[in-house]
This record gives sequence, structure tokens and C-alpha cells, in this order.
Amino acid sequence: MATISASMIPCGQYRTSYAKDTTIFPTPASRAFAALGVALLAAAPFLVGSYYLNLLIQIGYYGIAALGLNILVGSTGQISLGHAAFFGFGAFASAWLNNTTGIPVFFTIPLAGLMTTAVGMIFGIPAARIKGLYLAIATFASQFILEDFFARAEWFTGGSYGSMANSFSLFGWTLDSDQTYFYVVLGWVVVMFLLGANLLRSRDGRAFVAVRDHYLSAEVMGIRLTKYRILSFGISSFYAGIGGALYGHYLGYISAEGFTILLSIQFLGMIIIGGLGSVMGTLMGTAFMVLLPELTTELSNGINILAGGNLPWLTDGLAFMKEAAIGLAIILFLIFEPDGLAHRWRQIRAYWKLYPFSY
Amino acid sequence: MKRTLVSAVAVTALLATAPAFSQDSIFVGHIADYSGATSDVGRPYGQGVADALKWLNQNGGIDGTAIEFETVDYSYEVPRAISTYKRWTSQKNPVALQGWGTGDTEALVTFVAKDEIPYISASYSGHLTDPVGKSPRTKTPAPYNFFYGPSYSDGCRGLVQWAADDWEKKGGDGAPKWVHLGDNHPYPNAPKEACAAYAEELGFEVLNPILYSLKPGDFKAQCLTLKQSGANYAYLANTGGSTISLLKSCDTVGVDVQFVANVWGMDENALNATGKAGDGVAWVVGAATWNDDVPGMELVREISKISDPSGEEYRVGHYMRGICSVFFMRDAMKVAKGMDGGITGPNIKAGFETFENHAPADLEGVCLPHTWTAENHRGTTEVLVYRANVADDGSFEMEHVFSADLPRRDDWLGW
Repeated sequence: MATISASMIPCGQYRTSYAKDTTIFPTPASRAFAALGVALLAAAPFLVGSYYLNLLIQIGYYGIAALGLNILVGSTGQISLGHAAFFGFGAFASAWLNNTTGIPVFFTIPLAGLMTTAVGMIFGIPAARIKGLYLAIATFASQFILEDFFARAEWFTGGSYGSMANSFSLFGWTLDSDQTYFYVVLGWVVVMFLLGANLLRSRDGRAFVAVRDHYLSAEVMGIRLTKYRILSFGISSFYAGIGGALYGHYLGYISAEGFTILLSIQFLGMIIIGGLGSVMGTLMGTAFMVLLPELTTELSNGINILAGGNLPWLTDGLAFMKEAAIGLAIILFLIFEPDGLAHRWRQIRAYWKLYPFSY
Repeated sequence: MKRTLVSAVAVTALLATAPAFSQDSIFVGHIADYSGATSDVGRPYGQGVADALKWLNQNGGIDGTAIEFETVDYSYEVPRAISTYKRWTSQKNPVALQGWGTGDTEALVTFVAKDEIPYISASYSGHLTDPVGKSPRTKTPAPYNFFYGPSYSDGCRGLVQWAADDWEKKGGDGAPKWVHLGDNHPYPNAPKEACAAYAEELGFEVLNPILYSLKPGDFKAQCLTLKQSGANYAYLANTGGSTISLLKSCDTVGVDVQFVANVWGMDENALNATGKAGDGVAWVVGAATWNDDVPGMELVREISKISDPSGEEYRVGHYMRGICSVFFMRDAMKVAKGMDGGITGPNIKAGFETFENHAPADLEGVCLPHTWTAENHRGTTEVLVYRANVADDGSFEMEHVFSADLPRRDDWLGW
């Protein structure tokens, strides 16, 4: 019996403890698949070229930041239109710490995360009092306050000229190529996603979900709304700060212009497309958002070649088409797949699990 | 051991994905703004660069070496320019780059110096002119940066000279007042301090700068501030698009100020748009204009047919500067081809630094002659000032009113 249950998937709910109910990997096979995925990714620098590694690195640092937003929006039911500003704050903070104090980049990345947490909790204070649309506008203000701060605080960000960020180095090793920096990002992705998945099955994680589902009931049950709302902002900003710091040291240069409201909306787009409240969906949504502009480029190049290479409106309009494609994707997902890619993935899996008796 | 293994595999992976290079072709990256905040002037300039590169390829390239090039529209967003640069350096092995804005060019200074890739920018920021960091004002030396034309600071200094001259002719009383208008952005900020210092030297009273966005909008508030400040000369540091809005707003408010504009701040398109509001604006012009009767314009018109086979399109001044920028690069590449190692980044840089009062021979009369040395990248100190005379029906002519030949002062290097 023991051997059967280890190798096969039980047909029904046979869990006998809370621990089993909240496990991250429901079967040994799913755990093996996740480990295999990470191992495959670790081999990626040997298998694919710089172009694809660059995309994977982007998915990595945006994915970390998006997961933070998903904890805030998807799990705690708050809203933030200022996520890009926290992302930027992390980038500037890490570069500033490294440039002024000489602390190695290896340590400034988590330190920048903590600094961003502090800033995020300050801007999260309004969440204690207001919710919904009003909170959206309050966080919208934080976006503009921080953007203006980036453009003016020359001591911290270099002002409108931006700031240089040193490359990641550790014990004399400099990890500045796509091939090597990929491992830095991969390491952080694994750590942050495991933390995120575990957070949601902890006492605090359940409190977040309770606040989201019915804040009055949660309060009646003894959950301190103010504490958990602000904590959620802090955790979300921590993720944004780590993602931003990884972005800054990858690019080598941080410009105050890189963190506009558009990026905040894109973060929201990532978690909507991926699936609100889903850790795995966050990664899917981020991958979707990073790859969509690249696919648009490929597609328009393809059409251009098919048409004999003489469609100037196509090359001219490419920049606009990329933006439009993102907008269109968000609208289409909201209409046809409001639960996101994670939901679609579960359906596909269920279909094959039950195949051919899928009724 | 492990490290060498990793890098060996990394190099192999890199080589496997890089496109096949034939010996007789080189890659040149072209970063342009066709859809961002400065696209009004970015389009004609970028078209000039692209047309000139295509024309060179149709006519034998660099003495037989073809130029592969890719144009990337980065929408005036610095991070996009940087990621494009990183993509090119990891995949395409560029020998030179044709760039655009000040923000991205200054951000890339240390990158191109490390990778030894000459960067010919459309940013004429004075900060790019000190290749060794001799000047105490230089924050970062820019050994691999070149640009065509007078720097923004020099252009503004030329305008200050013209303004001093103009003030005297008008018989103005006391010290004239000078004010800088522009966005809080690396490009408009580049000449701000250098030019203000020179204006003070020439006896101007310099007022507090006024901020107006690079994105066109309603600037009546700024115009009212300008009116109240009592300024006599207002320097417009943005590009044409926002300057049109500003001139129109100021016309409505009734500001009586002599406007002077940066090289990207005014052109024929802008004058068509402003109409009478643009009357009297003086600005820096960096090359021959479309209707000029000089021998080199024949070649420019031929190059223009690459993107406009009918040959009827009127090209604004920026188009000619784009062509000049490419032709100076071509001449430097020709010099490099004769050196050990052929057309490589360091050789192209060395090629540029051999030029003394040099202008591309086949563009006679179009491009200003330039001199670059290993210690001084201020290519030219000649500033041509033009003024717009707009008639009541909106037709206009551009009058060449002043030429400044600025001294090569040591304290102006890199500033």
C-alpha cells in the first residue's frame, strides 16, 4: 500500500493533517519536476545563447518583483500602483550603498531589499485607513513622489543623470556576463519563490488571505488589520527592492526614467495574466509579459520578410505595436481568462491526468 | 579550473549563436529615437544616418568592406539604449556605434571606453569632449566619444556672443538678463552651468532657470514666469516639439523676449508650425541647409533619394548633420583600414584623432571642418547662428546672422 501511494496519485482527498494539506508539492513527482526544472535552468548558460539568457534574466528579476506585488494584491487584497517606484528604489539603494560605503554587491542586494521594505511600509500606512480605489490613488501618489525624488536627489540617485552600478562580484570573481549573472538571478529566484510559497502557508500568510477574503470577519477573529496590511506592503516592497537591485547591477546603470507608472501597470499586468494569488502564475505571467514584445518583433519581421522587406510602416510602428500588444493581452485575459495562466495550466493538467475519461 | 571551464563553454556558446561574420563586413549599431520625447528631431537625423550608411554600402562600403547595421528605436528611454548596447556587444561585435541622446550617451561613456567601441553620438554634450580627464571639471573621461558639430556648451557660448553683440546694436541699457529654459533632463541640463558662467563673464545678469517639459504641452505658466522675470535673452534647451508649444504659449501671453535656441531646438519643421510666433528666433545651425548652393549638396540630394526616390522631400538641417556624422566615421574607418589590425574600435578612434581641420571631401561645403586630438575631443569651435524671419503669411527665410569662433580654452574642456 505504501509503495502504491508513493508512486501513484490518490483519487480523492485522503489528507489527514494540515501539514499535508498545505504542502507545496502535492506528490513526489511534482517535487521531482520542480527540481528538474531548476536543474535544467542551471544548465541553460551551456545550452542557449546570450539573447535567451538575457530574456531569462529579465523574467527572473521582474518575476521576483511581481511576486511581491502578487502577495500584496493577490493574497492580501490591497492594491498598489507604485510598485515600479519601489523597484527603482531598490536599484538605486543597492548602487548607492555599494558606491558610497564599498560594501560588496553581494550584500547590498539584500540590504537594498530591507531599505525598500522600510520605504514601502511608510507608503503603506494609508492602507491602514483606506481601501479600494482610494488606496490605489494613495499608492499612485507614492509612485510620483518617488519618481520626483529620483530625479532630484543627486546625493542618492545622481539626479537626472542617473547612477552607475558596479557589477556583481564575490571573492574576486566578477559575474558580469549574461552567462554568469544568470546564476545570481537564478539563485535569488529560487530563494524568493520558496520564501513566497512558504509565506502563504504560514500563520501570517493565512492572515493575509483572511484580510483579503473578508476583512471584517478577519478582524472579528482577532487579526490586526493595520499590522497585516502594512506588513504586506513591507513584504511586497522587499521583493520589489531585491528585483530592482538585481536589475540595476545587471544593467550597470540606473536612470531615474526607467521606473514610470507604465512599469507599475506592467507589474499589475504580469500578475493578472499569471493569476492573482498564485506563486507559480506570477512566474508564468512575467514570462508572458517579457516574451510578448519579443514575439511581436519576430512576427513583424516575419511579415516584413514575407512581404518582400518593404513595409516601412511595419518597422516604424513596431514600438507602438509592442505597447499595444501588452494592453491587448491584459484586456483579453480579463475577459477570457480572469484567473490567469495558472488556472489554465491547472485545467490542462487535470485534462491529461484524467485522460481519456475527462468527465 | 572550474572557472576556465565555465568561461570556455560560455565563449563556445557565444560563438555558436553569433551570426556568421565574413571578413569583409563590420557591424555598426544605430540607436535612434523615432517614437520618444525627441522624435521630432530624431526622425530626420536618424533617417540621415540610415540613408548615408545605405548609400555607403551601395558605393563600395569602406574601400570594399561592407557595413552591416541595425537601427533600433529606443523611444528616448535610457534603459532601452543600454540593453540594446549590451545585446550588440554580446552578439554582434560592433566596431562603432551611431547614437542619439545625452542621457544614454553619457550613461554609456564608461561602457564604450571599457569595450573600446567609438561612439558617435547625436548628443553634443560638453561632458563628452575630454578624453583623458585632464580638466578638473570632468567627472568621467570619455576617450571613445565623438560627435559632429560644436558642443551644446559651445553653441550656447556662441549665442551668448551674438546676444552681447545684439544688445550693443540695440543700444540696450545696463546689463542684459539671460535665462535658461529646459527640462530637468541630462540633455537640456548639459550646457546650463557652462553657458551661464560665460554669460556672466560677458556681463549678463543670469536669472534662475525655468523648467519646461520635453513633451509638448501648454506652457503659459512658464511664459508668465518668463515675462515677470524681465529676461532679455531666453535660451531654449529642449528640442523642436516642446519649443513650438513654448513659443506659441509665449506669443499668446505676450512675452517680449529675444529667444535663442540650441541646435535641436529649432528647424524648418518647427518654423512651419510656429508661424509668426517663431519670428526672430536665433539658433545654432551645424551644417549646410537644404537649399544651400554648395558642391557637396549634390551628393546629399543623391543620398536623400535612398529613402525618397522622388527626390522631392525637403530635408531639415538635422538630416545633413546625420550624414556628416556618418561620413566623418567613414573617413576615420578608412584611416583605420590602413593601420595594423584593420577596422577595429581603437584604430577608428586613432583615425578620428588624426583629423586636423578635416571635412569629408565629397561633401564639400556641407560639413564643418573638425579637429580631434588624443587629448581634446572638442571637434569644432565654430558656431553658426541663424535667425528666422517669418512673414505675416507664415512663409519664412533663415538668415545667417553671426559666426562665432570660440577660443580653445583649457577650462572649457569637458564642460
